[in-house]
Amino acid sequence: MLQRECLAPGVHLNCIPADKFNRCRISLHFRFPASREKATDQALLPLVMDRGYAACPDMTQLSRKLARLYGAALSVETSMQGASRVLSVSITGIKDRFALNGEALTAEYAAIAFGVAFEPYFENGCFSREAVEIEKTTLARQLESEINDKRLYCVRQARRKFFGDSPAGIERDGYLADLPAVTCESLTAVYQEMLRTAQLDVICMGADEAVVRRMILEKLAGIQREPAQLENYLYMPAQPTEHFREEMDLVQAKLCMMFTWNQCAKPEQLNAFRLAMSVFGGSTTSRLFLNVREKQSLCYYCASRFASPTAFMMVDSGVEPANAEKAEQAILKELENLVNGPITEEELENSRRGLLSGMTSVGDSLAGLENWYYNEILRGGVINTPEQAASQLMQVSAEDVRQILAGFRYSVGYLVTKKEEPSHAE
Amino acid sequence: MQNEPMQAVRAAVACEALTLENGLTVLVRPMPGYSGVHAIYGTRFGSIDLEFEVDGRRVSLPAGVAHFLEHKMFESEDGDAFAKFARTGASANAYTSFDKTCYLFTATQQVDESLDILLSMVNEPYFTKETIQKEQGIIGQEIKMYDDSPDWRIMTGLFGCLYHNHPIRNDIAGTVESIAQITPEMLYDCCKGFYNPGNMVLAAAGNITTDQVLAACKRAKLPAKPAQVKRIQPQEPETVAKERLEFSMQLAKPCLGVGFKEAPVEGAKAEIICDMLTELVCGGMTDFYRSLYDQGLVNPGFGGEFLVLDGCCCFLFTGETDQPEKVRGLLMDEIERLRKEGVDEELFTLCKNQSYGEMLQDLENIEDSATALAGSFFRKRSLTEEIEALASVTRQEVDEALQTMLRPERSSTVIIWPKQEENA
Repeated sequence: MLQRECLAPGVHLNCIPADKFNRCRISLHFRFPASREKATDQALLPLVMDRGYAACPDMTQLSRKLARLYGAALSVETSMQGASRVLSVSITGIKDRFALNGEALTAEYAAIAFGVAFEPYFENGCFSREAVEIEKTTLARQLESEINDKRLYCVRQARRKFFGDSPAGIERDGYLADLPAVTCESLTAVYQEMLRTAQLDVICMGADEAVVRRMILEKLAGIQREPAQLENYLYMPAQPTEHFREEMDLVQAKLCMMFTWNQCAKPEQLNAFRLAMSVFGGSTTSRLFLNVREKQSLCYYCASRFASPTAFMMVDSGVEPANAEKAEQAILKELENLVNGPITEEELENSRRGLLSGMTSVGDSLAGLENWYYNEILRGGVINTPEQAASQLMQVSAEDVRQILAGFRYSVGYLVTKKEEPSHAE
Repeated sequence: MQNEPMQAVRAAVACEALTLENGLTVLVRPMPGYSGVHAIYGTRFGSIDLEFEVDGRRVSLPAGVAHFLEHKMFESEDGDAFAKFARTGASANAYTSFDKTCYLFTATQQVDESLDILLSMVNEPYFTKETIQKEQGIIGQEIKMYDDSPDWRIMTGLFGCLYHNHPIRNDIAGTVESIAQITPEMLYDCCKGFYNPGNMVLAAAGNITTDQVLAACKRAKLPAKPAQVKRIQPQEPETVAKERLEFSMQLAKPCLGVGFKEAPVEGAKAEIICDMLTELVCGGMTDFYRSLYDQGLVNPGFGGEFLVLDGCCCFLFTGETDQPEKVRGLLMDEIERLRKEGVDEELFTLCKNQSYGEMLQDLENIEDSATALAGSFFRKRSLTEEIEALASVTRQEVDEALQTMLRPERSSTVIIWPKQEENA
């Protein structure tokens, strides 16, 4: 389904058929090494780029331009992939056939996405000082507000303890303490470095491929490219389990458990990991859902997930403060039971059916298609279609699942819980 | 509107609609080229339905029954519905809102079997004292999870301030105390009153045909005749119950909510105008939002929403801000300015354009399509009627609505302060 074309070193155009959809989508994914030193600049970059570009520098005018295009959605976001950072510029909008006045919408979408990515609004060769200062305030507020979402806060704290100083632990949103030092000059330097060193994947779904190809070549023409070599996989070594506890004013405690696989995950093991997660805690037929949540009523949510670039498994749950320890033991017991006890044919096949169903429906949404194929690209090596992955999934056995789960070592347990009442007056 | 795009739009919103003899509404959109099917079986029964008459008998419920019932529907005498769906490979879920409860699945294989499970889990209820007690523990955990969410607390705080008696004052899931009062008899009464085909919709979209859906309805042996149910809503004064509520939570930044209580509105056009008003007052395209944002007064999440239910209609403007009083004052001033000067013609046109694009977006995926179909049943109008209503809205109508809506005398304010500031 995916047509991948190398246009220059480290630059690929990826076209995915999207005839059946009402909308089309163009995404530019810049992938480059994450840097602790420049993390806050790299985190601020999407916020400033999202405000406008040379041909439409004003944020409000850009919002209006998108509304004029029948509510086209523009996003500039950053995410972490192991030791790499990805900055993605995406635009999605309705196809030309729905334009009420015959406008050439898809050409406009391409002009906006490439404009935002390659022609930002500069004043005297730099991002606008005013825009940078405003977005620094926004980012500071965002960083300070982390505690408002207790579940996310707990997960992030657990990750911090788990990754420590590893490049995989660099904060996606940067660091509050580094924010004052960010300037329009430093931000511009980080932007230009990204253009120079990033692996660029453009994904085109339902838009004019010839226009997109031409734009890529035009925009890259003036850039001295030196694409960086990126590591796809890493892992955190096993360590004695460390427990952390934080008390605050809340009603439901949050428990996040981090496990390392203690070696890099290999692409060919991916479907065994998928099935292992589904059986352990990634589905409504999983042991964690059925036993810890439903039978023992120890938590409202309790789910496991695995990140292949960094080979870690996370189990996060919302628990009664008094039951936190009991829930932790119950989760560990379920893992042990799967490693040392029987895995029934029924639970294995239920999980497999659920995963197969998900793979079959990847092609039913623009987001599903893009996520699937860009993740395949990120993994490196052969790009599997959902059908090929489904065929590999059929080969995964209960023993494969057991071996995957047996490899996990419990490294960090982070509990955010209710403040204990003081036993005496100070 | 030009003819060609309108033909494309008509094709995009097309669906097969029929009402069965027993009263069940069936809406199907076959979507060629799609692999999956998304099906929703929904009832007009939500958390605000606390008083009703069924077969001439009056029933009063404690808060949280609709949501509790949703959880219980996954159990039957012959096992858990999740386990049955797992055997077909379908991914199942359910949700309860203020005015509806929906059960749904997505599947790519054994669709007929999944439809059978969906229809039977709702039509063959099974409750005992023991299974009810077990569910109280799980739902208690869910209630506690929402208690820690500032967004949720702002919203429920606003409903509590705006309304004297309307059941929207209650949390959808109820409280630990209210769900402790639930009995099997109450649940059976709800099933009789609201889980009857005349009050329900079966909507499906994707790789499916109407014949498949009708065959499943036939196999399900649904009740032959709709039961007679009469909803009873308490009298609600026009005034707000409370002008202001402030409390503290463990937060980094204060949260502000400003709500406006409105007279009930009816019809697609009126609701579209209300939706537009939230965008025209403080949406991302307005100079007002830009000014708040550039001054660092609000986060990108600041914005408005509109809610209409039986006996309840309100606007909510919410977001994080360091200066809640200042932002509240500026919001009130902006609404007054718009009332006096009228809304900007260009912005109005852009809002219409945007809404049109959003409607098409909502008809693209199987999940969104089935949700849009079911939504049209709950709103009692077709998607075509909604698109036509959008095309016919004029700026003058929006200006007229502003004369009676968003009045300061019918507003309430909720502020959540960070806990540490209280101690400072």
